Amino acid sequence: MSGPPPIEVRGLRKVFRQTTTGQSVVAIDHLDLAIAPREVVAIVGQTGCGKSTFFDLMIGLEAPSEGLIHIGDKSPHADFDFFRGRIATVFQQDRLLPWRSALDNARLPLELIGLPEKEQRERALTWLKRLGLGQFTNAYPHELSGGMRQRVAIARAFAVEPDILLADEAFGHLDEVTAAELRETFLELARECGSTAILITHQLEEAISVGDRIVVFGQSAKLLADIHVAHWPKSKYKLLREVIQSTLQSNHPDPRLKDPGTKPKRKKKR
Amino acid sequence: MPHEELRESVPVLTFPRQTLVSLLVFAVAWEALSHLAPYLGIPPFAIPSFARIARSLTPIDVAVTLARVIAALLVSFVLGLALAMAMYRSSSLDKYLHPMIRLLMAVPVVSWILFAVLWFPGVEFRIGFVLVVVCGPVFLIDTLDAMHGVPRELRHMMQSFRPTTWQYFLKLMLPAIVPTIFTSWKVNISLAIRVVTIAELVGAVTGIGHQLSVAQELFSVADVFAWTLVLVALLFLLEAMVARAEARVLRWRA
Repeated sequence: MSGPPPIEVRGLRKVFRQTTTGQSVVAIDHLDLAIAPREVVAIVGQTGCGKSTFFDLMIGLEAPSEGLIHIGDKSPHADFDFFRGRIATVFQQDRLLPWRSALDNARLPLELIGLPEKEQRERALTWLKRLGLGQFTNAYPHELSGGMRQRVAIARAFAVEPDILLADEAFGHLDEVTAAELRETFLELARECGSTAILITHQLEEAISVGDRIVVFGQSAKLLADIHVAHWPKSKYKLLREVIQSTLQSNHPDPRLKDPGTKPKRKKKR
Repeated sequence: MPHEELRESVPVLTFPRQTLVSLLVFAVAWEALSHLAPYLGIPPFAIPSFARIARSLTPIDVAVTLARVIAALLVSFVLGLALAMAMYRSSSLDKYLHPMIRLLMAVPVVSWILFAVLWFPGVEFRIGFVLVVVCGPVFLIDTLDAMHGVPRELRHMMQSFRPTTWQYFLKLMLPAIVPTIFTSWKVNISLAIRVVTIAELVGAVTGIGHQLSVAQELFSVADVFAWTLVLVALLFLLEAMVARAEARVLRWRA
């Protein structure tokens, strides 16, 4: 089985023109980033730092003003159709179609890639069951609680077994218990599927608990820090949190980032 | 999942019994009044009994008018929806067509009837033309507005899964605008019933409009009442059918 392709972001710049004033706003300014296959990357940043613009660029709904995003050797915007069924998304709100049952919502992306109906239903059902919704497959979104709706949205994303999973503040609006539960499930499923996962969040706890890497965005998505969580021992997670927070507040990398307190494990040369 | 509970199910809508009751009460009151009219100083033709109404009616005219209305509404709906989809897709087409649609909507029905008489020789085509030109733009504007009103979040979600244009309309836009489509049908049924009657007055030899014209020539007030009641009944029947379909299709709504 070939794994997901690597992601390369080089010199990425996105400029928007404001409709009312006609002024240009730089949302992302020369961002360079590389994400390895199957990596789980959490992107943190303050409101308005360009996280959501980056999300839209990754999905391919927006075109870069300059620079490139390559997933493998293809662009998510220029090769839009190529990524049908290869990129899946989970949004802040569940964004379920209210006229569809949980099962029909979960199988939506499978319909779009043209899978036979029987297979669509079987796969959607499998994912709903895995997310603990086997009893509620025929329920409409308004009949489900917020957490259950978000589970359906996660099942919808995983149903296509995508190469790339993108989650934009996917757990931020849920209560702490539900969010932690869903975060864990999401991570487990992403690892099982072998997908590369990019989670955009403003919650540092979430970023630390989920990500293999934490990418810290400053204003205009300036890359302030690229932290490999494995380099930090669990006992120093509190410090890590402080360091990220001070980086975000000052819009400059905190010097303590250079000393995570532990060295990465290296294989001994024979 | 102790902290997550299933929301209460909304019961499926049943046939509006209250509507039937109110119609029945009206019918009984009408029938009673028709018998009491001579004693109340009301001329008998003013409130004809149902038996008298039934004598005036010719089922073929009811069927012809009904067929004209339904056919024209279907054509108007298909044309209106297809154009709305094209205008939603292409903003330049929207900019070109929108003023023309507004222009069509501003022309009075009587003018359309006169144009139809002057332009087309066939009676059926004239009636169909008038109905489509009056009802089509209503479907178009309603559905186009509804498409623009589909929440950005849902459009964004759908696009992120990369549908084809056809899938985008079929899986998102059409289901999302179904409530508006039903409202538009209800508005247009009432409009079509009124317009078809006027259109049938001019040149048609069948239909309720024609029968009304004959009743006018014969000074038969009872017949006018009878056919008017039939028109109202037709309107109620069609609206009830749409309401029934709406309750079934939109059962997902809270």
